[in-house]
Amino acid sequence: MTRAGTVGSRLRRLRTDFDQSFAEPARSHDEEHLELLTIRAGGRPYAIRLSQTSGVHPDRPVTPLPGPQPALLGLAGFAGAVVPVYDLAALLGHPVAEVPRWLVLAAGTPPLGLAFHDLDGHVRSATSDIIRESGDEAGDRRRGSLRGLVDLPGGSRPIIDIPATRAMVHALAGHAQAGDEEPS
Amino acid sequence: MGDRDPLRYFRIEARELVDQISAGVLDLDQQPGPDQVSRLLRFAHTLKGAARVVKQTDIADRAHEFEEVLVPHRDETTPAVPADQMRELLRLNDEISGFVAALSAPAPPVATEPPPVATEPPPPEPAPEPAAPAAPPPEPAAPAPDPGGERAPERAATADLDELLDAIGEASSRIAPLRDGGRTLARLHRNVETLADRLRVGRTTVSDASARTAVRRLSGDLGALGRRLTDAIDQVERELDEVRGRAEGLRLVPAGSIFTALRRAVRDAADAEGKRVRFQATGADVRMGPHLLNLISGAFLHVVRNAVVHGIEPEPRRLAAGKPAEGTVSVHVERRGRYAEFRCTDDGRGFDLAALRRTAEERGLLTPGADAGPQALIDLVLHGGISTAPGVTEVAGRGIGMDVARDVALQLGGEVAIANRPGHGATVRLIVPLTLLSMNGLIVEAGHTTATMPLDAVRRCVRLAADEMAAATATARLAHEGEVLPFLPLAGALQAAVDEDAEPRSGVAVVLAADRDTVAIGVDRLAGITTLVARPLPDLAPAAPVIASVSIDLDGNPRLVLDAHGLVAEARQESTTARSDTVSTRPRMPILVVDDSLTTRMLERSILESAGYEVDLAASGEEGLERARSREYGLYLSDIDMPGIDGFTFVARTKADPQLAHVPAILVSSRASAEDKRKGTEVGASAYVIKGEFNQEELLAHIRRLIL
Repeated sequence: MTRAGTVGSRLRRLRTDFDQSFAEPARSHDEEHLELLTIRAGGRPYAIRLSQTSGVHPDRPVTPLPGPQPALLGLAGFAGAVVPVYDLAALLGHPVAEVPRWLVLAAGTPPLGLAFHDLDGHVRSATSDIIRESGDEAGDRRRGSLRGLVDLPGGSRPIIDIPATRAMVHALAGHAQAGDEEPS
Repeated sequence: MGDRDPLRYFRIEARELVDQISAGVLDLDQQPGPDQVSRLLRFAHTLKGAARVVKQTDIADRAHEFEEVLVPHRDETTPAVPADQMRELLRLNDEISGFVAALSAPAPPVATEPPPVATEPPPPEPAPEPAAPAAPPPEPAAPAPDPGGERAPERAATADLDELLDAIGEASSRIAPLRDGGRTLARLHRNVETLADRLRVGRTTVSDASARTAVRRLSGDLGALGRRLTDAIDQVERELDEVRGRAEGLRLVPAGSIFTALRRAVRDAADAEGKRVRFQATGADVRMGPHLLNLISGAFLHVVRNAVVHGIEPEPRRLAAGKPAEGTVSVHVERRGRYAEFRCTDDGRGFDLAALRRTAEERGLLTPGADAGPQALIDLVLHGGISTAPGVTEVAGRGIGMDVARDVALQLGGEVAIANRPGHGATVRLIVPLTLLSMNGLIVEAGHTTATMPLDAVRRCVRLAADEMAAATATARLAHEGEVLPFLPLAGALQAAVDEDAEPRSGVAVVLAADRDTVAIGVDRLAGITTLVARPLPDLAPAAPVIASVSIDLDGNPRLVLDAHGLVAEARQESTTARSDTVSTRPRMPILVVDDSLTTRMLERSILESAGYEVDLAASGEEGLERARSREYGLYLSDIDMPGIDGFTFVARTKADPQLAHVPAILVSSRASAEDKRKGTEVGASAYVIKGEFNQEELLAHIRRLIL
């Protein structure tokens, strides 16, 4: 009896461990790797941390909303919710006439969509390839929503920090105290 | 429990009946009529019967007593119910509502209402304390709003469910053409197969001509079918839109559902004060979220009670002041774009500013002798909780009601304002933003965008031909039924892409009225009428004032809902801007108009003056020169063909005069040749406007460019 119990519990533990190894495949990688979206906004290459987003959508209709913010493209509908969509290129200070095709939902609240022109791909990059710029913290204000660079086969790309971008939008929309200025 | 709640239907019926009884009693009180007694008897009798069936003896007995009071008055042509009997009816009514309310879900609903009421006891300062015995009478009225507010959604639902069902029926009936289309498609499919067989079998022998005819016929049939299907789908879509709008609207409650409670509060307060007060209410159809309405109902109970207690004077005083003996308290509900406005107006004495000042000084809120204006004192009422109650007999201080109103406004992100008319009454205004709002909208298209206008602000739509549209756009005005209305092209207001070089196209002017002003909005096309639920713009989306809110269309995409007030203001402003570009801070230099034609002089003068310029007139070149030398002008506007010296000469002479050479000149002439234009430039004219193509916008643009 006791033996059977031991075997049973051992089996259970093994099974749990086995399942667990599938349930959390990325944990060990996460420490050394970063999931990135490589995108183009206004013709320039950038990268976005996937963990800072909550969805990527192509060709989502955006209803233009007239108002004081040129970077605000308009409103998009997501499952009954109305989400404001800002043009990333304009937020980064180099607006183009072309209408962005892609839309990434920023993590966090209130809902916020950021539109960009092209999606190059999805890459996993070693954290060692991320280059933090010197004086990162002090330079934040001036650099707006860019935080560091990532070295990728096609060349290095500035990383758009979504929380910093969100803070900028909040300031533009008068939603929070102005933090970052729009980069000139 | 096996019977699954025997009271289920009784609850609904009883609520309906109590509602009708409550309203009926107040009607009887205010405007007694012969049929009111019989109606009340009928309701009470029905309630009694139903209550007996479900063994609710408390309710049945009260309903019976209610009947007993009324029966003697059944045959009176104008029922005269003595005051004590009236009070008895009201008391029974309250008891019945209390019992009926107790039947429904016990604890939670009560929690929503008490907060405003609960705040009442603590605030009174020591002074009103002796008033305590007087306070209870109005208290029993408090339970009334509870059932009133709670019941509202269901009542709204019953009325609207029918409409929703109609809309669903309509949508289903639109499916039939689709089914027909399916059958037609099957037939065409068979035809194609037959044709294919013939082509295969006959190879070369089947005549090409007959095959071609068959194919052509098929192609025609397919085209027709396609069009029919598109039409049918469009219609289904529209109907579903309607269904969706109505279904969403079910969540909302008409503002009128709180009127009975307010009316009752006015009646009770008037009774306690020995005053005669008439209650009026408008705007019952404005719909909004039940939560919002509940909170406002709580606050407005205080506001109307205050109006009776503190506003309406005792009868002798009213008569002495030349007012009707009966006071009036009116409540008006109105939707203003993304806000709802609740207004309570009384024709009483207004706020007693002297008393306010005294109280404020006593409390140290105001330095004695400080010069506080009337509005500053009123603001103290709103912010400091001061009461104007002059004596201890008053039920509650005016300030407490205001505190509640202010708290509710704060909670809902709105505001309270008071307009005081000493001796004539006061208006308390509570403005709150609406979260969800059902409305009928006119769908319009302009510059490749689709938006919805609130239909209740639309007066009419006028078709405009291409040239009328162009003229209205250029002048920012539209003549409509003998009136000149400011005209605003919607595409411009929406900052939509407008093809500047595109051929002028016909369109529609939508005549909108709001804020006692009427304007015309130019759109490309009307695309139908819809019922929609407007929701507030999301955070992080600052929008132009012409946008009120947003709705979701059938595809799940946002659609803009325009703000009538914003559009009216924008049209007004654009039109004024067009009239006088910027009323500059500097005093502008006058303009000299030189023309031998009286008509032209007057026309130009009226254009320039309405654009805000000062204008002097001269009937000839000579007179023009004389005037030019006598006064400093900012610009000369001269005709060319005149008796005496002509316009060219006039301009040339001013340019030759060192005193006048700096003043720009515009030539206005019917001469359109290049030669004349060249000559004009040669003599030094800054611009040349051809009379035949006279366009006042163009003229004003030249002037704005030239003049300081």
